Amino acid sequence: MQTVSVAEESVLPAAHRPDVIHVQSARFGDFEVLADRVLHFPQGLIGFPRMRRFVILDHRPGSPFKWMLCLEQPDVAFAVVEPREMVPDYRAPLELGARTLGVDPADVALFVIVTIPPDPTAMTVNLMAPVVVDVRTRTSRQLVLEDPRCDPSYRVCAPRVAVAAES
Amino acid sequence: MLVLTRKVGERIRIGDEVTLQVLEVRGGQVRLGLAAPADVRIYREEIFLAIQGQNQDAQLPDQARLADAAAVWEAYADGKRS
Repeated sequence: MQTVSVAEESVLPAAHRPDVIHVQSARFGDFEVLADRVLHFPQGLIGFPRMRRFVILDHRPGSPFKWMLCLEQPDVAFAVVEPREMVPDYRAPLELGARTLGVDPADVALFVIVTIPPDPTAMTVNLMAPVVVDVRTRTSRQLVLEDPRCDPSYRVCAPRVAVAAES
Repeated sequence: MLVLTRKVGERIRIGDEVTLQVLEVRGGQVRLGLAAPADVRIYREEIFLAIQGQNQDAQLPDQARLADAAAVWEAYADGKRS
């Protein structure tokens, strides 16, 4: 009897319920995510077709920064933000996102990927290739906007302020 | 690389669902028409490479990089507000 119960536990201990995914990342630490929070990019990120499953986690309360961690390659992570606060005049392509995903615009969440160089004051956001998420199914896609106003490396901290801060 | 010669108006099929048509040849430029299912992504190569490169550069080296950027942004946003 006891052997059976031990075997059952080792097959499906509480910590390995199917709705919880354990991710071990040498770079970003170990974390647990609920399976229904996973974003599915059926085509992967552009240029990275095998990066298809991600989770988005808050950096800390009140910060616009979020982590977008790749579940297939846990040492790959991006910083993403909702552009509203950082780039207020960006016209987020929610309509295009909705058409692409085949859903209502009200069900689309949109993030832009942040590129952070060693000097973080020079960080940029990719306004040309935002990530759109169907918030109901979490099916996601990286769009490409062929609009010259959508800069793939738009600098968010204008240099003039960096200069002013030094004086 | 497979090389095919086509006249204006002629088409090429790529698989069962993608059609490429030569619409116009003028000077050194060729206009092409592409018909493909919605899930086939079609980009000019330079745009594809630019986004791929940006996606490569945006991969974080460690946790500290994002935390540093968040701190920089916080100070910057505070400066703008005051």
